Amino acid sequence: MIDHFTITVDGKPVAAKPGETVVRACEREGIHIPTLCDDKRLDPAGACRACLVEVDGQRRLQPSCAWKATPGQVVKTHVTSPRVQRHQDVLVSLYMADHKLDAEGLPVETENRNELRRWALDTNPIALESVEAPRVARAGDTNPYIQYNPELCILCARCTRYCDEIEAVNAITLTHRGSETTIGTAGMRGLLETSCELCGGCIDTCPTGALIEKKAIGILPQQIERKVRTTCNYCGVGCQMDLNVAKVDGVEKVVRVTSPPPGETVNDGNLCIKGRFAYDFIHHKDRITEPMIRKADGKLHAVSWDEALKFAAEGMKRVAQRHGPESMGFISSARCTGEENFLMSKVARAAFKSGNVHSCAAT
Amino acid sequence: MKSFGAGVMSNSIPEIRDLDFMFVIGSNTTEAHPIIAMEMKVARQRGARLIVADPRKIWLTEYADLHLQLKPGTDVWLVNAMMKAIIDEGLVDQKFIDTHTEGWPELKANLAKFNLTDAERITGVPAAHIKAAAVEYAKTRKAAIYYTLGITEHAHGTDNIFSLANLVMMTGHLGVPFGGLNSLRGQNNVQGATDAGATPLYYTGFQPAGDPAIRAKFEAAWKTELTAGVGKNLNEIMKGVEDGSVKALYVMGEDILISEPNTNHLEHGVKELEFLIHQDIFMNETTKHAHVVFPGANFAEKDGVFTNTDRRVQRVRKAVNPPGNARPDWQILADFARAAGYAMPHYKDAGEIYAEIASLAPRYAGISHDRLDETPMGIQWPCPAPDHPGTQYMHKDGPVKGKGTFIVTNFRPPVELPDKDYPFNLATGRVLYHYNAGTQTRRDSGTMAKVGECFIEVHAEDAKQLGVNDGDMVKVVSRRGGIKAKVWVSGRVQKGCVWMPLHFTEAAINKLTIDVGDPLAGTAEYKVCAVNLIPLRERAAAQAEAELQAVRHPQA
Ligand code: SF4
Ligand code: SF4
Ligand code: FES
Repeated sequence: MIDHFTITVDGKPVAAKPGETVVRACEREGIHIPTLCDDKRLDPAGACRACLVEVDGQRRLQPSCAWKATPGQVVKTHVTSPRVQRHQDVLVSLYMADHKLDAEGLPVETENRNELRRWALDTNPIALESVEAPRVARAGDTNPYIQYNPELCILCARCTRYCDEIEAVNAITLTHRGSETTIGTAGMRGLLETSCELCGGCIDTCPTGALIEKKAIGILPQQIERKVRTTCNYCGVGCQMDLNVAKVDGVEKVVRVTSPPPGETVNDGNLCIKGRFAYDFIHHKDRITEPMIRKADGKLHAVSWDEALKFAAEGMKRVAQRHGPESMGFISSARCTGEENFLMSKVARAAFKSGNVHSCAAT
Repeated sequence: MKSFGAGVMSNSIPEIRDLDFMFVIGSNTTEAHPIIAMEMKVARQRGARLIVADPRKIWLTEYADLHLQLKPGTDVWLVNAMMKAIIDEGLVDQKFIDTHTEGWPELKANLAKFNLTDAERITGVPAAHIKAAAVEYAKTRKAAIYYTLGITEHAHGTDNIFSLANLVMMTGHLGVPFGGLNSLRGQNNVQGATDAGATPLYYTGFQPAGDPAIRAKFEAAWKTELTAGVGKNLNEIMKGVEDGSVKALYVMGEDILISEPNTNHLEHGVKELEFLIHQDIFMNETTKHAHVVFPGANFAEKDGVFTNTDRRVQRVRKAVNPPGNARPDWQILADFARAAGYAMPHYKDAGEIYAEIASLAPRYAGISHDRLDETPMGIQWPCPAPDHPGTQYMHKDGPVKGKGTFIVTNFRPPVELPDKDYPFNLATGRVLYHYNAGTQTRRDSGTMAKVGECFIEVHAEDAKQLGVNDGDMVKVVSRRGGIKAKVWVSGRVQKGCVWMPLHFTEAAINKLTIDVGDPLAGTAEYKVCAVNLIPLRERAAAQAEAELQAVRHPQA
């Protein structure tokens, strides 16, 4: 069985694997083909027509996101094909006629990202009259996390396909007909009244920012100072996530959580409600911010680290001297890092000669 | 693990979507491990078959080809009957058994008594379904088993796991990709905490604490004398707190008064402690009794590693500073040890601590922060050398402990069974929208909008007999205490069984449960205990509702 072969894209050799689509092969080679409805987690839909390319021997342009590469295939993208360029210029103009534009006439920047805007910058769109499609959002949807902006929706159906193929709950689906087609739910109920698990995968996959996170409204990509890749602190799946850091009132804060691109990490770009949305605790006002010791009045008082450490060390040593290491217990936490659990065992064993160390690992 | 070494997930999460058969037992995967459940659903959509064994109807059972709705606590019977059926159908993998295992004749002899007819009577699962599940598992090559809390938090949890290990070995589903026995660990770093040595049984990297040679190695590295032998486990420490033999505790990142069973006794013991250090990010019940409170950092404020349920070591990276004078927990521990007179090294970062771990534990020897930074998929242990790729599935060349051991298991009824005074079987567990004691998720609007209060699932016929409806308040009482909860008449539980989530402090479930530990694993019997439900009417109900409201909207 051959495990890869070569196709030609814009005159250059590109390696492809059996069963692979043209767009996947190009991606590996760093050749950029615009896509809107494509997400490598989902079955190809071939719906948005953004990715059309010329394939030798085919009369019509073909969607590279669904077209399978075959040995020796010759493909031309917009880089070398005027026909593909013309197609793109017209198509992007049509999409823009049904999209919210900014003062310069470009698709607006959104909290998520707007692939349409990037694509418009790469092409030569023609100004068309706005169609003002009568698409509606779900009125009165009180779910706390997910907002749908119909004027940014291009109906690529990535969100509904994600909800069906990956999250497998079918909470959202394309509803209504013709120019009224929109992202709806059964009976247009709010998400809290559906099978929705608030995983936020629909936000993650949306290419234009028609779906955004309510908590992060108003935080545009350029305000994000950095994204820090880390591991989710909830369950044992160990999803990788990117903490988005921005300055809020001069202080750096985690303002949202996004998932890494599909295919890179163990969670394949997916997160659950806890990982994606339950980050308010990070900067919560109830956080303990000062070391404290209990004084003679029976109350806890904030003190310096030196004082707290000294008080703590003396207290523990006193018990150890009086009752021996068997009378001590060291409880560490499955919520803390490996290094910290290691140090807790070292504190117990090396500093206090006690083997009574365990993490709260039953759960 | 005694059966074939290492009680962890033998295989990997990314293998799930290419499986042909999944047997999920005692794991509410959609709610406890959502992204693993997602992979299972993807596998389902690609044509894999899914069989779920659980006393309750859970979300995953909606996707299952077959739901074995067994009576709580009868897992051993179910699994043994499956094995018996596999023998009867001639589907054992004799080659695997002969080359890689010991104890087969004893197991086979013991299985003789687990016939399908009795199994149906005791577990409540139709014999035909038990047989179908067994036969399909034995016949399918890419077949894996998943289990979690549901099965490990029984007083006889280890018996359940031994039974499953027997099932896996007798059918040769071990040491191959797309198979194995996979324990889904609950918390982000449960695996990593044990790996690191925060357990009385082992030094870092599962090196037996009772082994003098291992102790000598750690004495040399840590430049101090260490105590011989095995210390107390969590359950024993808590018992010690209750009976007064443990007099000082250092608690990091836990609320022992919520997360430990039978909290009434424990609270008394904690009050009597001579010294208690509590290190955490939020105040909680344990803080109230602490002599010292150290403000720690959360995962977004410090560096380190977590090890997930498929043995994958992955980086935790600092994104922001801890608030006020809070500090990363590793710094606090190191400073504290020095204040107590131990020459803890001045680690400049968490990477240096990891280097010490790697130098002491062969199975992590090839892992370092630098290497992890270049590996977005993380590295799965064992990883003995810097050029070793990590281990996607274990036991490739036969069980890591040499020979896999078949361990005979027999049915032992749960420690506490329903009776006339406490007629219901209470089980506890998780919901998707919250996490453990809920100190983090209960601070988020959306998770609260989905599930905002403590409820108890009751079967429709039981509800009718009690005269309660959806939304009524009841008092749930066991021999150890009582708490209030709102009734949810649900088709998910069996008659005679009730179920509650464990995330709500106001309802502290653990006041009800028993702290009979599993003799081997030291886990508490969270899962099964007997309770009664007392309907609260009119004024009592109104008052209970007001209390719930107050907790739900503290500021209002
Ligand atoms: S949040 Fe998840 S479950 Fe809800 S609609 Fe979006 S994709 Fe579907
Ligand atoms: S995002 Fe959800 S599934 Fe993933 S690790 Fe976090 S809690 Fe677990
Ligand atoms: S990306 Fe190919 S048709 Fe949409």
